[in-house]
Amino acid sequence: MTGDGTRPSVEALGISKAFGGVAALDAVDFEVRWSEVHALVGENGAGKTTLCNILAGIYRADAGQVIVDGTERDFRSPAHAIDAGIGMVHQHFRLVEPMTVAENIHLGWPETPGVVSQRALVDRTEQFMGEMGLHVDPTARIWQLSVGEQQRVEILRVLARGARVLILDEPTAVLTAKEADDLFRVIRELAASGLSVIFITHKLREVLAVSDRLTVLRHGVREITRPTEGATASEIARLMTGEERVLDVEHRTVTGAPALELSGVSALNDRGIEALHDVDLTVRSGEILGIAGVSGNGQSELAEVICALRPLRSGSITLDGADLASLSVRAVTDIGVGHIPEDRIGMGMVLSAPVKDNAVLHNYWTEEFAQGLTLDRQGVINFAKQLVETARVQTRSVFSTAGQMSGGNQQRLVARREALAADRLLVAAHPTRGLDVNAAQEVRSTLIDKRDSGCAVLLISDDLDEVLLMGDRIAVMYEGRIMGVFDSADADREHIGLLMGGHSAVEAAS
Amino acid sequence: MTPLGSIASTVLRVTPWRLERRLEVEARRAALTRIGGAVGAMVLVGIVLLLTGRNAFWIFWQGLDAIFGRQRGIEGAALRAIPILMTALGVALSLRMKVWNIGSDGQFLMGALAAVGVGIHMDGPAWLVLIVMAAAATLAGAAWILVPALARAYWDVNEIITTLLLNFVALQLVTWSALGFWRDKEAAVIQSTREVAHTLPGLPGANSVTIALLVPLVIAAALWWVFRSTTIGYEIDTIGGNPRAAGYAGIAVRRRILIVMLFTGAIAGLGGMLQLSAPGAQAMNAGFSAQFGLSGFIVAALAGASFWGVIGGGLFIASMFYAGIVLQTKGLSVYIIFAIYGVILTGIALGEIAARYRVVRREAVDGDGAQAGDDHDAATERAAT
Amino acid sequence: MILAIIENAFLSLIGSAIPASAVVMLAATGAMLGERVGVLNLGQEGLIGIGAVFSVIAVLSWGVESPWVAMLIGMIAAAVAGLIFALCVVSFRASQVLVGLALALGGIGLSNQLGVNRNGTPIQTLFREINPGGVLDDNDLVSAFLFHDPVVYIAYIGLPVVLWFVLFRTRHGMNMRAVGENPAAADAVGVSVTGWRIFYSVLGAALTGAGGAYMVLSFTPTWSPDIARGRGWVALAVVIFAGWRPGWAVAGALLYGSMISLDTTAQARGWGLPFMGASDLSFFLSMLPYVVTLVAILIPAGAVKLGRRVRSTAAPAALAIPYSREER
Repeated sequence: MTGDGTRPSVEALGISKAFGGVAALDAVDFEVRWSEVHALVGENGAGKTTLCNILAGIYRADAGQVIVDGTERDFRSPAHAIDAGIGMVHQHFRLVEPMTVAENIHLGWPETPGVVSQRALVDRTEQFMGEMGLHVDPTARIWQLSVGEQQRVEILRVLARGARVLILDEPTAVLTAKEADDLFRVIRELAASGLSVIFITHKLREVLAVSDRLTVLRHGVREITRPTEGATASEIARLMTGEERVLDVEHRTVTGAPALELSGVSALNDRGIEALHDVDLTVRSGEILGIAGVSGNGQSELAEVICALRPLRSGSITLDGADLASLSVRAVTDIGVGHIPEDRIGMGMVLSAPVKDNAVLHNYWTEEFAQGLTLDRQGVINFAKQLVETARVQTRSVFSTAGQMSGGNQQRLVARREALAADRLLVAAHPTRGLDVNAAQEVRSTLIDKRDSGCAVLLISDDLDEVLLMGDRIAVMYEGRIMGVFDSADADREHIGLLMGGHSAVEAAS
Repeated sequence: MTPLGSIASTVLRVTPWRLERRLEVEARRAALTRIGGAVGAMVLVGIVLLLTGRNAFWIFWQGLDAIFGRQRGIEGAALRAIPILMTALGVALSLRMKVWNIGSDGQFLMGALAAVGVGIHMDGPAWLVLIVMAAAATLAGAAWILVPALARAYWDVNEIITTLLLNFVALQLVTWSALGFWRDKEAAVIQSTREVAHTLPGLPGANSVTIALLVPLVIAAALWWVFRSTTIGYEIDTIGGNPRAAGYAGIAVRRRILIVMLFTGAIAGLGGMLQLSAPGAQAMNAGFSAQFGLSGFIVAALAGASFWGVIGGGLFIASMFYAGIVLQTKGLSVYIIFAIYGVILTGIALGEIAARYRVVRREAVDGDGAQAGDDHDAATERAAT
Repeated sequence: MILAIIENAFLSLIGSAIPASAVVMLAATGAMLGERVGVLNLGQEGLIGIGAVFSVIAVLSWGVESPWVAMLIGMIAAAVAGLIFALCVVSFRASQVLVGLALALGGIGLSNQLGVNRNGTPIQTLFREINPGGVLDDNDLVSAFLFHDPVVYIAYIGLPVVLWFVLFRTRHGMNMRAVGENPAAADAVGVSVTGWRIFYSVLGAALTGAGGAYMVLSFTPTWSPDIARGRGWVALAVVIFAGWRPGWAVAGALLYGSMISLDTTAQARGWGLPFMGASDLSFFLSMLPYVVTLVAILIPAGAVKLGRRVRSTAAPAALAIPYSREER
């Protein structure tokens, strides 16, 4: 039933799906064969995840057919898809954090014995890991694992249930270069053993490195399906975006005195574990310092500690020589620090509140809007209208709620709001995450404008290409430490990639 | 999928329509569907009454007549409206912050108890005694929610059960006062506390309704203004909408939660004093609060975040409540009222959900509205342009 | 002399504490079942009333002669109420807080209305105490501790042991916990979140209904209005105190029960203090069960805050959050 590399394992015919009246997929045809790694490529919002969610039984298509190994299927739940041999590893892992690895692998699995001890679960898990050649400590609880290990648990769980079609949604987004290479090796081995692997990504290098065939989706429509052999990155990029990517930023070398200065900074994360160790950093006025690193290596804590949202354990933070660490959140805002938070929905806005209220979230209490206790409503409205216009935010009006805007518009609003507030320092954490090319370009040009006007900009991103593109200087973070700082002219992609994976500067240099 | 779910989806499948989720719900639409849910629930109650052989129309008519047929009826409803409105305003204020103060009955009782204590022990001109009574009631109401508020604000202990448990303590304390330490030894039938000598001035033209009726209106207006035009209201709404964003904006979230919860208790406590200062209600017994806090809770749930909605809903529920009392003499028990409350509250909860969905035709996919999911951001963006 | 008084008091206390909080124990177990799969049912107070009144009706009006059958009828009635609740909050995703309060209110109102003509009528169909007789008979301490009707054994020993075993030693329990912690994860591996949530809400409601039935078939044993008197709320508090662990609920329930029996014992014996007469002391003691329960809820939270620990006593992460597959 598997192995010849030409028979289709999964076919999707004429799949359509709409959310809230907006088509996410429009009559998409998609075919995957046995023994192949099939890359599903497209920008954010192209419909890749939606298509795979339909194949995995998470969503139901509004129209179209799904055929698995020659039989038409109508999945009503993920369980049906699993029965048919389709398993998906989601971008946001579906693991139960307080439970152990062994428990998570045995969750919802009919083959788990009815009465089980931890011991038995661990034994079964170990045996199974041996067969698959993938290993994680079966007694560890999920929250104790690294992201790469959690992903391995997800893959093991899917394979344990006998999945023959494995869907991986943006699997490398959270991995170091080394972890990603390990994953690619696993994927190749699985395909070689006869399985189909569907690999969702927007990183062209990965597409070319690992896939046999590729399908490009754009705006919910299939652009092309073709063998990877012979394809070029620029060709795929053009199909993805409908245009050539125009990425050109002029880098600067600024000398001058440092604006933001961190020395010996340590801080704890939410679990009470030290997330920043003895960090020294400087950002000068009129430059962008890019922080490269895989998510979860202390970048969030770094941004929060600078913006007074997280207490400092030791060390000092100064802005133009003045102590920043002892100030309140408001005082930090007051002296001209803006902060585009990593989690724009979770932290940067109130989705249930009108756009106008969100427009002043960070400075509603300043003299511009507040006289004593009263809030200048008309002033807020005027400010919001102006902000919406200059940031080119698309919203029905400033009175409709922020939740009604798309993610791109939300981020434009937050970025512009914080850029306006930032006279001396702008901290931007993952400002383009989840945005399409146009929205990302606009946010980036906001940062560059800010830099050119003499503001210091700290850009945190897990997209190395973005850091290399934007940063006048680049610092690499790994496990809460600064691994090295480079001028953009000296920045070597491979070298930085190694540092991001924890290799010391000496190792990386050799 | 449950059998019911699959039946529902099968039924929907053969029709040309299907349900679709809205990402964001307009406040006006949600208010309408809540009211629709409440009305639907009452229709359901009427049908049940009809089926059990009672003439629902007659009962409804009797209820209307009991209230609007005579001045005593209107005043009776207004008297019930005061405690219901006060507790409802307290709850509505806490709901702006997504805090559920279910202990407003206890705060109401403690306010009244403090007022009785002042009233029966203090000598002085009536106006002074009444002012001190009001102050004592306000403080007592706030004090009664202090522990749940501290626990919620600083220890993240859910406030629902802590506030509710204190209702029972308050009720026991009131019983103790009526049968024990402040007992009126002359009272014959119902044992109660001694009577406070003073009452608030009556409204012009009214027999029993005092200026107390104006207090909830003033408070509603004040709260409306606070949430419309002050930074405090802005901060409370921000905390209610997204506590993390509030922290990001530099709002002292925990302290705000504490203070707002104390205010909700204070409003309910003041309600206790207002209830006590009406002619003929100047003493307390175990039945002093006819579960006004629960009625107030329903009103707040019905009104959502709107303080004017609280006034409208409170007058409505108070009328129903009074009609229920009158109808007791005509064969309906007071217990039925609580059963009806339960059905109405369920109707409100379901109505709230209904606002989040709309029915669309299968093939016609129009372009307005937003949708869920990170992956579709770009799709919406296109739709908006 | 003083020792004798203390011993005597202790015996009465324990003797009545165990049956006094059997209701709380049953309701807490019922609530815990639902909460373990992420459904918070604030309607326990109403469910106790419904379970009680239908057992009373079964005995007084339908002539049921077995307490077990009467209890079963009470449980079925409560289960029906639980099903309506579950459909509202699980299938339609209505607010669990609102509908739970509605169930509390509606259940109290409905049961009081149905019981209105049966106030105070003594119930003759009772559970009988299991007492092997013989040597232990004259030892008050032992008999107060050991000899109760079968429901007490089920509530304090049977249910906690079974629930613990199912939750922590079976595949089924593992899946249950997953539904309460992370429904998306459970759904992804084929556990029907909706189905399980409805099932355990209904089963939990039936157990709470059994608590109400036990009140009228053994504890009071007669119908009176507002029969639950806050025990439903106390049960919800006990679940928090127990940190969602079945065994710890026993401690929570007994804590409440001993406060109740302290009050009743004091009343029965006319205890007083030098500065407080017997009747005042009784009023004071009647507030104590609720105050102690309130303090008990604060203990786990305080322990976490002050000593920073005990991850295992946290509430199920998805408690009271409706689940929808097409939403994240």
